[in-house]
Amino acid sequence: MATTFADHLRSLTDEALSALVQLRPDLVVPVPADVSALAVRAQSRGSVARCLDGLDEFTLAVLDAARLSRSAETALTSIDAILELACDVEPADVRVAVERLRVRFLMFGADDALHLVAAIDEVTSPYPAGLGRPADFLDPQAAALCADKAKLRRTVLAAPPGARAVLDRLAAGPPIGALGRDSQPSAPPVRWLVDNHVLVPISEAGRAPRPDGELVELPREVGLLLRRDTGPLGPLRPFPPIPEGTARDPKSVDSAGAGQVMEAVRSAESLLEALAAEPAPVLRAGGLGVRDLKRLAKAAGLDEPNAALLLEVTHAAGLLGEADAAGTSRSVTVSRASGAVDEIFLPTGAYDLWRALSSAQRWVSLARAWLAMTRQPSLVGQRDDRDRPINALAPDAERAGAPQARREGLLVLADLKPGTAPQVDEVLGLLAWQTPRRARGREAAHRDALAGAAALGVTALGAITSYGRLLFEDVDDADGDPLGVHPGATEPPGDVVRTLDALLPAPVDHVLVQADLSVVVPGPPEPELAAELDVVAEPESAGGASVFRVTAASVRRALDVGYTAADLHSLFRRRSRTPVPQTLSYMIDDAARKHGGLRAGSAGSYLRSDDEALLAEVMADKRLGSLGLRQIAPTVLVSPLQVARLLGGLREAGFAPVAEDAGGVAVLTRPKVRRAPTRTSVAARLTEQAGPPVLAGPRLAGVVEQIRRGDIATRAARRAPVSVRAANGQGVPGLTSVQQHGQAMAVLQQAVREKARVWVGYVDSHGATLSRLVRPVSLSAGYLRAEDERTETLHTFALHRITAAVPDEEN
Amino acid sequence: MSGGPLIVQSDKTLLLEVDHPDAKACRMAIAPFAELERSPEHVHTYRLTPLGLWNARAAGHDAESVVDSLIKFSRYPVPHALLVDVAETMDRYGRLQLVNDPGHGLVLRGLDKIVLVEVAKSKKLAGMLGAKIDDETIAVHPSERGRLKQALLKLGWPAEDLAGYVDGEAHPIDLAEDGWTLRSYQQEAVDGFWAGGSGVVVLPCGAGKTLVGAAAMATAKATTLILVTNTVAGRQWKRELIARTSLTEDEIGEYSGERKEIRAVTIATYQVLTSRRGGTYPHLDLFGARDWGLVIYDEVHLLPAPIFRFTADLQARRRLGLTATLVREDGREGDVFSLIGPKRYDAPWKDIEAQGWIAPAECVEVRVTLTDAERMAYAVTEAEERYRVAATARTKLPVVKALVDKHPDEPVLVIGGFLDQLHQLGEYLDAPIVEGSTTNKERERLFDAFRAGELRTLVLSKVGNFSIDLPEAAVAIQVSGTFGSRQEEAQRLGRVLRPKADGRQAHFYTVVSRDTIDTEYAAHRQRFLAEQGYAYTIVDADDILGPALPQID
Repeated sequence: MATTFADHLRSLTDEALSALVQLRPDLVVPVPADVSALAVRAQSRGSVARCLDGLDEFTLAVLDAARLSRSAETALTSIDAILELACDVEPADVRVAVERLRVRFLMFGADDALHLVAAIDEVTSPYPAGLGRPADFLDPQAAALCADKAKLRRTVLAAPPGARAVLDRLAAGPPIGALGRDSQPSAPPVRWLVDNHVLVPISEAGRAPRPDGELVELPREVGLLLRRDTGPLGPLRPFPPIPEGTARDPKSVDSAGAGQVMEAVRSAESLLEALAAEPAPVLRAGGLGVRDLKRLAKAAGLDEPNAALLLEVTHAAGLLGEADAAGTSRSVTVSRASGAVDEIFLPTGAYDLWRALSSAQRWVSLARAWLAMTRQPSLVGQRDDRDRPINALAPDAERAGAPQARREGLLVLADLKPGTAPQVDEVLGLLAWQTPRRARGREAAHRDALAGAAALGVTALGAITSYGRLLFEDVDDADGDPLGVHPGATEPPGDVVRTLDALLPAPVDHVLVQADLSVVVPGPPEPELAAELDVVAEPESAGGASVFRVTAASVRRALDVGYTAADLHSLFRRRSRTPVPQTLSYMIDDAARKHGGLRAGSAGSYLRSDDEALLAEVMADKRLGSLGLRQIAPTVLVSPLQVARLLGGLREAGFAPVAEDAGGVAVLTRPKVRRAPTRTSVAARLTEQAGPPVLAGPRLAGVVEQIRRGDIATRAARRAPVSVRAANGQGVPGLTSVQQHGQAMAVLQQAVREKARVWVGYVDSHGATLSRLVRPVSLSAGYLRAEDERTETLHTFALHRITAAVPDEEN
Repeated sequence: MSGGPLIVQSDKTLLLEVDHPDAKACRMAIAPFAELERSPEHVHTYRLTPLGLWNARAAGHDAESVVDSLIKFSRYPVPHALLVDVAETMDRYGRLQLVNDPGHGLVLRGLDKIVLVEVAKSKKLAGMLGAKIDDETIAVHPSERGRLKQALLKLGWPAEDLAGYVDGEAHPIDLAEDGWTLRSYQQEAVDGFWAGGSGVVVLPCGAGKTLVGAAAMATAKATTLILVTNTVAGRQWKRELIARTSLTEDEIGEYSGERKEIRAVTIATYQVLTSRRGGTYPHLDLFGARDWGLVIYDEVHLLPAPIFRFTADLQARRRLGLTATLVREDGREGDVFSLIGPKRYDAPWKDIEAQGWIAPAECVEVRVTLTDAERMAYAVTEAEERYRVAATARTKLPVVKALVDKHPDEPVLVIGGFLDQLHQLGEYLDAPIVEGSTTNKERERLFDAFRAGELRTLVLSKVGNFSIDLPEAAVAIQVSGTFGSRQEEAQRLGRVLRPKADGRQAHFYTVVSRDTIDTEYAAHRQRFLAEQGYAYTIVDADDILGPALPQID
């Protein structure tokens, strides 16, 4: 077989061979050594699959017909056999399709002996044209039924309605279904069909039973019978379903698109401005948090899907990037500091360059980034396989096929007459016809592409714009470069910009100032004007024009950045087409008058004096130059030095300054003389040697009194009343401890009133029982305060520890 | 690019350049669906709101025509998304209808079943909808009509109210157009109101709102309840109605604190209706006292909350709201629209001035410099007292006197907010004072004397803010106000806007203390008028006082 195939290739003319290479460029990457190598590659699964991916629905249907019509023995087919199957359409169309397959060498050989490349069966569905395998291959009983055409027809006609519906569905393909569990409503009809051998159960050996029951297959013969009306291949569409669409005026399409272009550029800018004002953290899993997306969308006045789209586009365009959060820790407040934020999203340096471009140039850079980005923004906000929401700028929204999907979607629109606005479903239908194998599963990507195109203004009113078409063609040229170099990639394609520029309003350099202090820029402002207005006024509304309002705060901001009142007056006079209202002039003057009325600064120390002449003298003294004195008021000088050094310097120069503290009180300091630590004189030893000191006078009397008092107390202690001693020890007969305690309190209260001395028995913190003769002072808050005359100290007793109290009878 | 006069902004505001040759045509085209927000001298701002778009739908404009006029007059390309949004918003109107079903009375009918299912499920409508009659119809209790409409509006599915209005008890009323006719804008306002069934008419002070009310009554030819702010205003209504319509004195009743008459045409004050006794409003029964065919709310921007609630139950009656400034400091403009009705007519003040129906006015802000002592006193005042201290500075007195002297032949009103200051002024200018405690009789006497020219200067407290008809007043001097209230400023200017017999100019002075919070409040107060195109001139008090500086003792 391979030799035949190689022989066929070899017999081709150079033109035919180059046509093949042109249609299947992957065959020559890398360039094969010889024709045999080329033949092997052309029959490889990968190459065949890639080639099939590029074929349209009709050609694939013809290929299915070729597969079906192969004879069982020779595996050959013929054009006639194919034509017989594709009986509903013009034979010429079928021949064209066959020719298409032949030039791609998916099929080769003479008209009556066509070979199919073997790999086709491996990379396509096992059920060509959605028909099952022949009955004799599946089941002898089914084969018997199919052999008897009349019986088969009768059986099918006798099928109950439910069974008929199942048959119709399987006949439309694929011819495989699950038997289903008996509880399901569809089970009985299917069971009927199986019992009557119209359906054949197919069990795969060695496979675990499927949860949804056995699989059943519709034999090919039954399928063909059911397709009586549509033809054996099912409905065939030899021509693409060209979307009809609504015809719109290309001019109004361009106009609406241009409006959207301005809107997109403006929204992108306000998104990035909002991000610059309050950068958002990069999530640990990558991407931008939902809350930050909401915040940015709100700030830019967008809905979230559009905000996500524009963020993705600006990121792809390199206007938005991640920065280390640490480098910006102090100057920028990062929103939501949940844990350690390592990285934040910020506009990049390229953003500043981008802002200086014209609207058209800005848009082109966005649109080109959009075309090329491998992201699918419509996924943002949806949930991934693990049911987690997909965030903007997160890796989950990455789709490698996205650029291809965009190209395909836009190509469909670009192939239509200018101004044709097809429905989205029509576009998707055409895409499905053009490359059914590729379009499968990419519907979401195509919808995303069309939605993105509308949001960016590549399309408007459903049709592609003139500049959108150009943008696309420019990219095509770049792709077509044989060397793979994109010469125009660094600079935006001129044609698009020129076309778009003509549609976009010209920038204006003037404003209209009104008495309500609103400033209207009747069009897109020139960058310089925009920068000026950014400083002096608050934006109120944006769009085709911008409205600003001058407020006291905005004027103050302008003064802060260095405008003077005269600058502001001249700015408004120069820029305004209308006379500047008097209220504005007054407001500027008022603000300027108040601006800087208070001055703040820092100094190390100050020097003040009521005598202005004295300060003048200090200022004039050349020796004091090193103190860095500056006069801030007639009576105040400041210096960056600390007070001590200021004082020292002044004293050296012969002045007599005094330091003062925070309250303005003079702080008097005596010069400190340095001394070593004090030592005792050896003379002290003299007395030690002289023996104990001789006491005399009051000191002696004091000692005596102390001894006496101690003695009295000791005697008293010995005589502590029985009741106290008893309470401390064994308890007083006839009284419970509670009663004792109550009695003790009464005694103490009495003693406080009479300032009498009392014996108090108590338990100390070590649990020992003691008694003490004291004079109670107060009894409150659970404590007894009493003085002990012997030791001249004030004691505090916790009341709950007092066991007894007895008045001292001695006084 | 068509180079038109209109710029469409992404936040759905429309900027109309007034000096553009197509501006007038554009204004006519967008007025039905866009609301005029500001009208300063060069660029007027309109806003597209869902409410405005739905009102346009109700008035028979479709989305196509709205989009067409936007595109036609827009100077720059209109963003595609905005056009789609307009079309989608307008498409939401009328999916639901309130109709009178012959069998079931008032019902909510869904032309779109899914929408009906959606709103029927909504918690906000709980209790308003009755039994489901069929897939497309749900019964509605007539008393819930207003609340239901309001709730549906909030849900974004406004119902088209086809249930109509009750005609009320018929009563012959005609305009007595002897020697005068309804002005064109008044006629337009009445027509706009009548076509819509109910709604608010916004006209500048002095532009003859009373006549719009009278004309509406003449169109309805039915018993009418008129709600006004105070008794004096009520008597002015009465006088005007007797003079301008076929109504006689006996047909008009006054329902106020003093008298409780209910007649074919009854004029009631907000105050008496909202007076409470034991937690109830005994006088709210007035709404049901007769089968009113028309309810007129004068100065609707002052409508008190209890009346709001009661108005919700009056949806089957025609309602007309009149105001000069639909700026409510409490932000409840939305409730006015949904309960009384949408704005049916609005005209920029300057347009009506240009037509000569209100006097041209010169607005001057006079800035006085406080003396050092006053500045010091102001500087150390507590925050809540600051405005009072700044606004009542004695330095203002000689300036006011100088202003009064500057117009020796014209009637002058001096308006202020602080009674102490007014009494000082009264003494200083030797003029009588009308304040809250002045009796109605005394007020009438003073106003009559003023109207007759016997009294040249009158000092007014806050009672002068509205509804006092003093046509000859040509000069108003405002010395203090209620903080930064915008509508108060407009109402006060309104006192001098009645056209003068000889067409001379009116003067509105506001005296503020420089470099104080007084200036800030003044700026805020002036905003509404500045947005209406009144440019304030700022002059220094010294220029007014002239060379001979009067001494303050």
